[in-house]
Amino acid sequence: MMAIAEAKGASALRNAFGGILGVFILLLIGIFAFSIRLFSVIKYESVIHEFDPYFNYRVTQYLTNNGIYDFWNWFDDRTWYPLGRAIGGTVYPGLTLTAGSMWWLLNSLNIPLSVETVCVFTAPIFSANAAWATYLLTKEVKGTGAGLTAAALLAMVPSYISRSVAGSYDNEAVAIFALILTFYFYVKTLNSGSLFYATLNALSYFYMVCSWGGYTFIINLIPMHVLLCIVTGRYSSRLYIAYAPLVVLGTLLASLVPVVGFNTVMTSEHFSSFLVFVIIHMVALVYYIKGILSPKMFKVAMTLAVTIGLTVCCAVIAIFIASVASSPTKGWSGRSLSLLDPTYASKYIPIIASVSEHQPPTWPLYFVDINVLAFLVPAGIIACFSPLSDASSFMILYLAISAYFSGVMVRLMLVLAPAACVMSGIALSEAFDVFTRSIKFQAGDINSESSIAQNDVSNVDSNATTDKSETVSKEPSRKNHEKEKEQEIVKKVTSKSQNGKKLLVLPQEVSAVVILLLIALGGFYVGHCVWTTATAYSAPAIVLKSYTPDGLRVFDDFREAYAWLQHNTDVDDKVASWWDYGYQITAMANRTVIVDNNTWNNTHIATVGAAVSSPEKAAWEIFNSLDVKYVLVVFGGLVGYPSDDIDKFIWMVRIAGGVFPHIREQDYLRDGRYHIDAHATPTMLNCLMYKLSYYRFVETEAEGFDKVRRTEIGNKKFELTHFEEAFTTEHWMVRIYKLKLPKNRIQGKLKNKSSSETYSSNQTRARNTRRNPWQ
Amino acid sequence: MELKIPRVLLLLLLVAVAALISLSSAASPTADDLVAELETLRSQSPSGVIHFDDSSVARFLTSAPLPRPYSLLVFFGASKPDHHLRRLRSEFALVSSSFAAHHASSRRVFFCDLEYQESESSFSLFGVTSLPDIRHVGPQHRSLRDSDRMDQSDFSGLAASMAQFVEAKTSLPVGPIVRPSLISPRQIAFLAVALLISAPFLIKRILEGKTMLHDRRLWMGLTVSVYFLGVAGLMHNIIHKIPMYVKDRKDPNRLIFFVKGFGMQLGAEGFAVGFLYTIVGLIVAFATHVLVRMRNEAVQRGFLLAAMLVVFWAVRKVIYLHNWKTGYTVHTFWPTRWR
Repeated sequence: MMAIAEAKGASALRNAFGGILGVFILLLIGIFAFSIRLFSVIKYESVIHEFDPYFNYRVTQYLTNNGIYDFWNWFDDRTWYPLGRAIGGTVYPGLTLTAGSMWWLLNSLNIPLSVETVCVFTAPIFSANAAWATYLLTKEVKGTGAGLTAAALLAMVPSYISRSVAGSYDNEAVAIFALILTFYFYVKTLNSGSLFYATLNALSYFYMVCSWGGYTFIINLIPMHVLLCIVTGRYSSRLYIAYAPLVVLGTLLASLVPVVGFNTVMTSEHFSSFLVFVIIHMVALVYYIKGILSPKMFKVAMTLAVTIGLTVCCAVIAIFIASVASSPTKGWSGRSLSLLDPTYASKYIPIIASVSEHQPPTWPLYFVDINVLAFLVPAGIIACFSPLSDASSFMILYLAISAYFSGVMVRLMLVLAPAACVMSGIALSEAFDVFTRSIKFQAGDINSESSIAQNDVSNVDSNATTDKSETVSKEPSRKNHEKEKEQEIVKKVTSKSQNGKKLLVLPQEVSAVVILLLIALGGFYVGHCVWTTATAYSAPAIVLKSYTPDGLRVFDDFREAYAWLQHNTDVDDKVASWWDYGYQITAMANRTVIVDNNTWNNTHIATVGAAVSSPEKAAWEIFNSLDVKYVLVVFGGLVGYPSDDIDKFIWMVRIAGGVFPHIREQDYLRDGRYHIDAHATPTMLNCLMYKLSYYRFVETEAEGFDKVRRTEIGNKKFELTHFEEAFTTEHWMVRIYKLKLPKNRIQGKLKNKSSSETYSSNQTRARNTRRNPWQ
Repeated sequence: MELKIPRVLLLLLLVAVAALISLSSAASPTADDLVAELETLRSQSPSGVIHFDDSSVARFLTSAPLPRPYSLLVFFGASKPDHHLRRLRSEFALVSSSFAAHHASSRRVFFCDLEYQESESSFSLFGVTSLPDIRHVGPQHRSLRDSDRMDQSDFSGLAASMAQFVEAKTSLPVGPIVRPSLISPRQIAFLAVALLISAPFLIKRILEGKTMLHDRRLWMGLTVSVYFLGVAGLMHNIIHKIPMYVKDRKDPNRLIFFVKGFGMQLGAEGFAVGFLYTIVGLIVAFATHVLVRMRNEAVQRGFLLAAMLVVFWAVRKVIYLHNWKTGYTVHTFWPTRWR
């Protein structure tokens, strides 16, 4: 008795020690996840990155200044002039509300942080949260060891880091956390059958809907899992509790988000959840009847129900198909369709196909984004199958679906990354389990008893969930005798395997080498993650750096230009630029823009595209009709910044040509190629974009040699007639021009005559005959 | 002198041709006859695409009086078409039949096709040098070389962009493209009935739990293969129609399986690396789940050693290939002070 009590005490102590160690490890993982994302702040500065985050930052600023109700009703007149945009109803508010409440909390605790600081560090904080959520999810599937490993892997997976470094204040940063949390609560409900967790599940789903359009992934994945469970005969009342409240509460909550609204019941993305909702009720009814009737009666009732059920089902499906078929895209959005049929986008929607994020990835991308996890995932899959539980089957389905989706769109690598981390965590932890056991068992021959006991702790832990699920499932679902017998057999097998675990070892010295190799593999992963984060993913895109023989050069031209706009132009002046820079101009210069990165109105974008691809006079007319005072172009030819406006110009022409047929792509191409040198077409040399980019370029030290295109420009010396240079930044990366005031009538006519001679294409001449209201 | 003779000859030829054309047009049937003839030809073809040869090109195009009372859409094909051309030809037929369905009567737009082996001279009349090519010959087109050519980029859009081309050139709407469904309505009805009859049995079997769906190994194999195909970049190859390998331009006997560059890959390349990705995980799983249950220590040791070698080789190979392809190497990131 004493010995048993002693052993119990020892194991309790060991458990307590393990618990504390686990918490400590989790804390370290959280700190690690946070700090690895600070490279951008250390190497550059605490600044918001790229384009979309600037919009989110601006919305957050508005929220903190004006409060939630004003934010909800905010109509933004600083963008899409003259249309404006109703921000409250067209954004996913999750990120903004999160950062806003964090800021509010800190301020009410008398910690006076600026909104920008809070926004910059939101993503790293939520990455730490995501790592902890991964721990919880994996723990539900395969125990604590796997959970800790998976959390550590997720803390530094490059795919996720690329979207969540400090400063990249975008929806994905919080959405991945919400995604993992929702899955955790789903699996937790599945394992425990608790309505409390089911409610939490619906709430975290609501948070996910608030945060990201990717929530449709959840609302399709979970029904698929439920259906899979039903089809493979794994139905239980826990499954019902996990699913039914999620659909009812989740749908109600989701429709509260303005940007989603009635889409929750009207688009096909959500229909699968309702279909499965109906099915699970039918199955639940069948199981209930099966429980109260004798087997013979049940058979009769079954045949009756099946015949009636089928006729009703057919009628419903017919109505459903008819209603769906009446819409042209069958009720699916283009992006979802291109996921189901990968060739769809490339055939029918060039605007989706043209975005690099929507391209299918190649194998090197997997190596960069999930690195050695790509090797470990298959082992994790097989580990999830032995033994197969409800929770592990969910992880398998999640992995399979996300692996397929990531293969269609690069962007969805982000959804694959958590699944790959969980799977690799499981695989690594199982491998370490086996190999360390092999060393320990054979090393301590004398002390073998206690070592076995120690080793069994993790086994029991990992088997606990599955055992529990099997015992719990027995009671409410009232399975028949056969099933019970089967379960007994399963139990015998598991107990046998646990007894036999004493012998389940591999040769000691080889195991040691394998462990070393596994550690080396993990080390490679850490090295890769840290290196890619530091070099590839931390550049803010608003400040650029380049290393030259003379030393480090910093290009801060964008902020220079925006600051100039803010300080030297009137607050109501309208600034035209290509849509890429819209968010930054409104956020940093606080000036009204014509188009921005929320590309909701193609015609408006095409109008700007038509203006920059027209000759000066026609462009002036278009811009003047939009009340534009300043035109901003980005030019990289002097310093070799490749993604400038000339580089994007072919897209401007294409988009403009889609709406205005007089803009023809062929006019800008010579022999099917795009030239700015001496071979350039006259239309190209006379278009506004060319002129605004290369005006006075010959006077610089480059003397008309474009470093990006590596060629001398075609037309070096020309004057501007309708625009005047207002400001050019230090490295010429941003050039701002002002529209000249309209001339007097007579002067204007004379000017028109002389300038129209330089226009070569017939179309522009035809356009010139149209009267300018100013002349 | 040397120069003059050809010129005179050319002049003569031109006069002769002009005379011939005027003669033939005088002798040729009236416009209505031609239309009637074309209509009968069209009614003989199931899809409405008329098969042309050199003589019919001469009859309906070169020698017909201007303006012709009809316009023609000509598809240029070959007698042994490759897969792509065959597909385009069937899409062309689809546009033709859709057009026919939309305009039941009085349509003066005819779809026809030409074959290179049969009517080589017509190809040169049109100035067609490469396939695929689709031309629109309007009523006013005097020279066939001036006929409107469909953009190469439009071929990727298949029937939809062909229909756009037709609409743009003839200003007649083609109407919705009627694609014949893969299975006929009768087959659908049959399948539905079969499903209805078999449904109770299927449901019963599912409830009993004795189907293939309950086989764990099936699901395992399925998941691993989905993962394998995903990391192998199969979708990339399908969407961009990437071949498994390409021939070396310098040396046609050599095949290229691997290409440099981050955003591209060949089919075989993807599968090779996908295999390397997958095999490592499978070996680890085998060692942790199957090998531990073996009793023979020598087998365990031997297998583990072999497995380690394979795994080490596979991981190194991927790292090497990735470095070769993109020039990327991993560096440890130490603070500058530590160096």
